[in-house]
Amino acid sequence: MSRPLVALLAFLLLWVPAPAGGAPAQEPGAPADSALEAAVRAVASQLRCVVCQGLSIQDSPSDLAREMKQIVRDQLAEGRTPDEVKDYFVARYGEWILLDPPARGFNLAVHVLPVVSLLAGAFVVGVLVRRWTRAPAEEEGSADPGETPT
Amino acid sequence: MLPGRGAAVTGAIGRVAIGLALALSCYGVIAAVVGGRARRRAEAWRASARGAAYAVFMLYAVATFAMVYALVTHDFSVQYVAQVGSRSTPLFFTVISLWGALEGSILFWALVLAFYTAVVAAGGRGQARDDLQRTYATATLLGVTVFFSVLLVGPANPFLPVSPVPLDGPGPNPLLQNHPLMAVHPPLLYLGYVGLSVPFAFAVGALLAGRDDEGWIRESRRWTIVAWGFLSAAIVAGMWWSYEVLGWGGYWAWDPVENASFMPWLTATAFLHSSMVEERRPGMLRPWNLSLVVATFLLTILGTFLTRSGIILSVHAFTQGPIGYYFLGFIAVALLFSLALLAARSDRIGRGRGRLDSAFSREAVFLVNNLLLTAFTFTVLLGTLFPLVAEAVRGVKVSVGAPFFNRMTVPLCVAILFLAGVGPALPWRVGRPAETGRRLRLPAAAFLVTAIGSVVVAGTRDPYAVLAFGFGAFALVANVAEFWTGTRARRRASGEAWPIALVGLIRANRHRYGGYLAHIGVVAIAVGIAASSTFRREVEATVRPGEAVELGAFSVRFDRIWGREEPQRFVIGADLSVFEKGRPAGRLDPRLNFYRSSEQPVTTPAVRSRAAGDLYVNLLAFERDGSTATLHVILEPLVPWIWVGGGIIALGALIAAWPESRRRRLIREAARRPGRPAVPQTGAERERAADPVVAGGTGA
Repeated sequence: MSRPLVALLAFLLLWVPAPAGGAPAQEPGAPADSALEAAVRAVASQLRCVVCQGLSIQDSPSDLAREMKQIVRDQLAEGRTPDEVKDYFVARYGEWILLDPPARGFNLAVHVLPVVSLLAGAFVVGVLVRRWTRAPAEEEGSADPGETPT
Repeated sequence: MLPGRGAAVTGAIGRVAIGLALALSCYGVIAAVVGGRARRRAEAWRASARGAAYAVFMLYAVATFAMVYALVTHDFSVQYVAQVGSRSTPLFFTVISLWGALEGSILFWALVLAFYTAVVAAGGRGQARDDLQRTYATATLLGVTVFFSVLLVGPANPFLPVSPVPLDGPGPNPLLQNHPLMAVHPPLLYLGYVGLSVPFAFAVGALLAGRDDEGWIRESRRWTIVAWGFLSAAIVAGMWWSYEVLGWGGYWAWDPVENASFMPWLTATAFLHSSMVEERRPGMLRPWNLSLVVATFLLTILGTFLTRSGIILSVHAFTQGPIGYYFLGFIAVALLFSLALLAARSDRIGRGRGRLDSAFSREAVFLVNNLLLTAFTFTVLLGTLFPLVAEAVRGVKVSVGAPFFNRMTVPLCVAILFLAGVGPALPWRVGRPAETGRRLRLPAAAFLVTAIGSVVVAGTRDPYAVLAFGFGAFALVANVAEFWTGTRARRRASGEAWPIALVGLIRANRHRYGGYLAHIGVVAIAVGIAASSTFRREVEATVRPGEAVELGAFSVRFDRIWGREEPQRFVIGADLSVFEKGRPAGRLDPRLNFYRSSEQPVTTPAVRSRAAGDLYVNLLAFERDGSTATLHVILEPLVPWIWVGGGIIALGALIAAWPESRRRRLIREAARRPGRPAVPQTGAERERAADPVVAGGTGA
């Protein structure tokens, strides 16, 4: 394999999941943006709006979501940690309230399988490229270049 | 106008039309298969199957027209009209409520499918209509039509009579009658979604016909470009609708409905790239390409199942209606049929013809592209289905939402952007690193300037946002450079003016430059998404008349609250004056719409759109006496470029899919097959000539 492709595959192997939270970075010093508001946004974007189709309470304009967001704000202002606030909501609504399922037990599958499938696919592509570049038209070159999509 | 006997006729016409369509599509499948296998009278059977395909289309046109007529005349004796119609709904939204609920959308799906089937059956100019592969492709599409006809006759019959006939109905879902984009997004989506059945049909047709030439890949690729173009435009139109109606200033929530439309787009995109490898190297990647086409089709059906059966709300919602079982059964049949067919033909398609001249080539980049897009699809599929699996296995409801999907897929998006710039700079077969390095010098410079600029000037902190901007610039410059160098070379050779040279360049190789244009559209979308999610700034405030909300350079002054009665709703609006750096910059009026059928108001946010970004204002709440209004003001840089990107992609697909002129086609065919007569033989004649038994038997 030539160096650029190795570099590309290495890039994929070093694939690091993007930081959790997804709370948009805010310019410091903007009027409505204190450290508290940033923390509220980070927590609120992890919690599901109970009356919407998969929106977070950070995003949802519904009254209920705004009330829930106010609870988040109040609790953080009282000095609770983000995890404690999330636990408060989990205790009331169940695990369902979290938009990112906690990575433990059975839920590990949803966190691990995408990475595993990508790595397995990268391995298959690497093997195929090696085989196909080495010898012209070998008979066993029929495997799919990647995992099946379904 | 009371519904009388005349009205009941409309429903009866609809029921008869879909019943006949079911019978004729069943007959068409049989006729096509008999015509494909028969030694005698094959042409007659195949022609009969074609006739059935045309008739099914006519019948669905009649049924759809009957439904639109029933909607427009408020014929509440028809169940679907009683369900979604209302005398107070404006005519425009009454017509488009055809696709506003389950039964109507299945009818519309059947119409689009029957249209595609008829077009496939008819064949193109200069193509043999009774070619075996086309006959089996028609049979496959008619087979899918049978399924949708069964739905329409059975669990999703929109024409069932209602008794007693209600005097009025509730009207369409308020969300669906609040914005004109609802007239655009669903038809585009269906044209794309259903269009992806056609490549599947050609794949099945080629396998059934036992063909191992490139006929299938040409047809499948061309049809995929068409369907993919519609689907791309549909997805972006859906994002735009969501932005303009849902009032949260976002356009994508990784909702199952969105994921359902996105997954087949991903696999179709993968196929558009990998099929080029097979076109250039006959036989290579064929099992993979066939699998992609089959997977794409199954994902469209799975997506419809997920969004239409209610299963996504809960495993238990699924059992409340029968339609979920029909879909599940059809998915199982289609999957088993496809797998069995692939296995049965594995001797023909599975020959190891994979060969790469170099790992430093466009082919190799396409393999990585396919890897990323497939992993992307798998991740979205897993995330979408996981709540169901968890509920079934653990009995606990979990959610998989935006934080999960963003974390998992943003790195993939960044890598795909990078590849979209590398691919065009790499030649087929063997690339020379020095040459490619030279071609990528400018894009790499654009990467550095943009990435550093986004950190230093714009203050981007998220590394993936920096990479998205950097690789966005990289891919943009790399693809624009292809147009630039090609046009320059052509201008030098012919002395044409710039615009003429550019048009000539694109016309000479529409697939290639349509593809580059699509890349540019993808870059516009990616940068629009990255910028609007990274630099989004927002403030929520309750203000009195005369007070203003300040955000960035903008000051939004609340002037007054007004109310207006409309036939189908009551509208509350806030008049706002916008000032940019102290200067008047127009007026905005975000609104809340109260529909009778819904407790929650539907929002109409006001958007001031400029190339640099949007000022988005949503009215969250108000005092009845007009003393206060609660406003959500959002600044979202570069959002309009997402919609522009969708248009660019659609334009690229249009250029790539535009039918070739007759003159160019004849020139190309003459170049490919010297000595072959220009007059096409019929497919059946050609097969008979190739078949010693038949050829001998008829004494030809």
